[in-house]
Amino acid sequence: MPAPPAKRQKRDNKDSQSQTPSEAGDGTKLPQKRYFRQRAHANPLSDHKLSYPLTPAHMDWASLFPEYVDPDPSKINLGGTRKLLKNVEVADIGCGFGGLLVGLAPLMPDTLMVGMEIRHLVIEYVRQRIDALRAQQQQLKSSTSSPHPNNETESSNTSAESPSNTAISPVAGGYQNISSLRSNTMKFLPNFFAKHQLSKIFICFPDPHFKVRKHKARIISETLNAEYAYVLRPGGLLYTITDVEGYHNWILEHFHDVPAKDGDNASKEGDNAKPAEVDVGSEGGIKDVWERVPDEELQHDPCIQCMKDSTEEGQKVTRNNGMKFVAVFRRKADPEWPA
Amino acid sequence: MAGNLQHPFQCVQFIERQSSGLQDLLVASAGSRVYSYAVGNGQRLAVWPQNVESVNNESTGSTGPESSSDSQAPPEKKRKVSSENEQNEHSKSATESSDKSQPSVTWSTVPLLVPSSDGRHLVALTGEDKTIRVLKVAEDGTLEQISARSMPKRPSSIVLAGDDSTILSADKFGDVYSLPLIPSDNPARIQRNLRQAKVSAPVASNLTVHTKRNLASLEQQKKYLEQNGSQEKPGPDFEHQLLLGHVSLLTDLAFVSLQSESSNNKRSYVLTADKDEHIRVSRGPPQSHVIENYCLGHNSFVSSLCIPQWAPEFLVSGGGDGYLIVWKWLEGRIIERVSILDETSENKEVAVRGIWAASLSESADPSKVSNVILVAIDGSSKLLSYALEADGTLKSHSPIQVSGNVLSVSSMDRNGMILVSIDSVREAGSTQTWRTNPASAQTLVEAFGVKPETGGLQWEPITEGMASSINAQGTSSVPATISEKQKQEMNESLYNLGNLRKRGFGDDD
Repeated sequence: MPAPPAKRQKRDNKDSQSQTPSEAGDGTKLPQKRYFRQRAHANPLSDHKLSYPLTPAHMDWASLFPEYVDPDPSKINLGGTRKLLKNVEVADIGCGFGGLLVGLAPLMPDTLMVGMEIRHLVIEYVRQRIDALRAQQQQLKSSTSSPHPNNETESSNTSAESPSNTAISPVAGGYQNISSLRSNTMKFLPNFFAKHQLSKIFICFPDPHFKVRKHKARIISETLNAEYAYVLRPGGLLYTITDVEGYHNWILEHFHDVPAKDGDNASKEGDNAKPAEVDVGSEGGIKDVWERVPDEELQHDPCIQCMKDSTEEGQKVTRNNGMKFVAVFRRKADPEWPA
Repeated sequence: MAGNLQHPFQCVQFIERQSSGLQDLLVASAGSRVYSYAVGNGQRLAVWPQNVESVNNESTGSTGPESSSDSQAPPEKKRKVSSENEQNEHSKSATESSDKSQPSVTWSTVPLLVPSSDGRHLVALTGEDKTIRVLKVAEDGTLEQISARSMPKRPSSIVLAGDDSTILSADKFGDVYSLPLIPSDNPARIQRNLRQAKVSAPVASNLTVHTKRNLASLEQQKKYLEQNGSQEKPGPDFEHQLLLGHVSLLTDLAFVSLQSESSNNKRSYVLTADKDEHIRVSRGPPQSHVIENYCLGHNSFVSSLCIPQWAPEFLVSGGGDGYLIVWKWLEGRIIERVSILDETSENKEVAVRGIWAASLSESADPSKVSNVILVAIDGSSKLLSYALEADGTLKSHSPIQVSGNVLSVSSMDRNGMILVSIDSVREAGSTQTWRTNPASAQTLVEAFGVKPETGGLQWEPITEGMASSINAQGTSSVPATISEKQKQEMNESLYNLGNLRKRGFGDDD
């Protein structure tokens, strides 16, 4: 069902307005979300005008993380751009308006994190938002001579959507460790990240694609989980959160962690030997590279709270009194080759 | 058969059977049929489906419309000559065939033929009905269908794995399925298909959708379900397993086993190529969800993968970017990139139609073999020829010029000969322009052998024998009265690589 033309017209008008606020002032002003609204769905199966590196070694990370560029100018990657001092380790797939990134930035101030999003207006918002946050931090640093970087409690406040520029407090890392790029990760994830490069992947409030016919467009599937396992290092974690219970069950099912079998979680942890009784379809299945992280372990993980409260979608669900379902999976070491 | 154009061979395959004491065969698909020939004298042994006379006029007459309207369209008047035969076939198959009492064939092309290595079976993919058909190859070369399995999406490549016991099928939806070559008699062991998991109630609830419009449509959905019940399309009802998937269109598939360095076991791998420039290297089943690496380097779609049997550590890949790439695929490392662009031609949009590896024995001295890589460009009458050196680099030979566009190549290694199937319908070098004045005897295949010579490898045509015999026997005719639209559809089905190029973009850009 295509949107009626009138609606599109309205959006196009907004598009043109979006140019103006971004240029305002010294770049410390946060962008306003209302200029960057875009239809919530993008078809991941179609060709978009995307740019993506030929291989991970061709990726220009330097322009995304200027503070982390290797000072040695002779260190150049295959794409001809400067190398970074460290690799990107965290990916927020479908980062939306960037709430999670902004929330995570002070939690892992020395870890490079990138948000990936397919909708071009939304990613432009995130880019401007991070630019503004970085500029604010820079300004703060130069104005106050006594920085006190340990400010974790206050930093979580800044993650809340606050269009006003009041009460800027210094944040560990100065938002130099987060960035964003436009991509269709369902197709091009291996173009950005090498094997085992990532330590964490976040997939927050994915597009539920309710119709059965559209299930191929879901960002969690047994076949895509193999790709996530490829870019995630053994021991790395994949975080998911959704407000749709049916999708949560879908996620569990596609990691072969069927809800009904939750009880035997403990037995899976002990050793990586396959359980004697293998359910149909999981013979050598995706389960031998993933295991669900039990809830007790997650209680001390600050990322969980961040997913629930910092993401725009999470806040919306709270406003509407919806439910939030979290599932975290640990990437196991590759199984032994069959004898 | 002069006068009318004949269906060219879309796919030719050599079936080696001498090791099991039988005559070698050549199988070839043209139009809706598969032909088998005796290697050597080129005598036609069989045609499948067998009811040649009855289908002849029909299938040729309806090639066009069928390709556009699938099997749903009202069938043309058909005589029920073949019904008995067809039903026989279907009753043996494990598919839902009860409603298919249509007497004539439901396809107009057979794009893929894959023989088993023991030469006893031939896997054929029929076009419009997306059906994988396993044919039994009898000793005398006749073909008989023993199973028909209709796939959820159109397969684009099929290989046999695990000592011929398993069919791997890569499809246009990006998924690779495995199915047993011979379906087990016990249909109860049907794998559940996750993608078609049961959803009887809407997954959305008023907790998850909020806008007025969405709530209204949720209400509608619930109402609809109450009245009609869940109307899901059931998945395939035969035994099959989803091995891996890309979110892209798969173009080619390769299965290879390597001797592992650390143990005595062989390790198997599945290589998949897609429209979005990727070549993925996964472990073979049952660990196909473990991705070993990617071979990234093509700038356009990848259309062909070739792992030579004599040098399985190398992969030659080609696609829409005008280059062949030789890979040390297990490491994802590029050894060499070779341009295939014709310097003299303005057309920079070439697409690799196929890459074949041949290991030809010299007729005089069978111990001397020439290992060659042959590359066909879509819509070109030149077959490129290379030697793959020990270090993985390609050394170019002079190409083989044939009389029409190269469609498919089959090598008969022990005979020291390759057979090239030629598009005798369209002008050489064009995928669209039909020949106006068909020659009296059409050239369907041309044979070539290696000229014994020092230095660079030279090809010489072998005009006598097999090729001329196959050409003389011909295939079914394309009706002379065919409409332009039907022609267009036939062009599309034979030359579809151009569609893989990215032109249209998502409407939200």
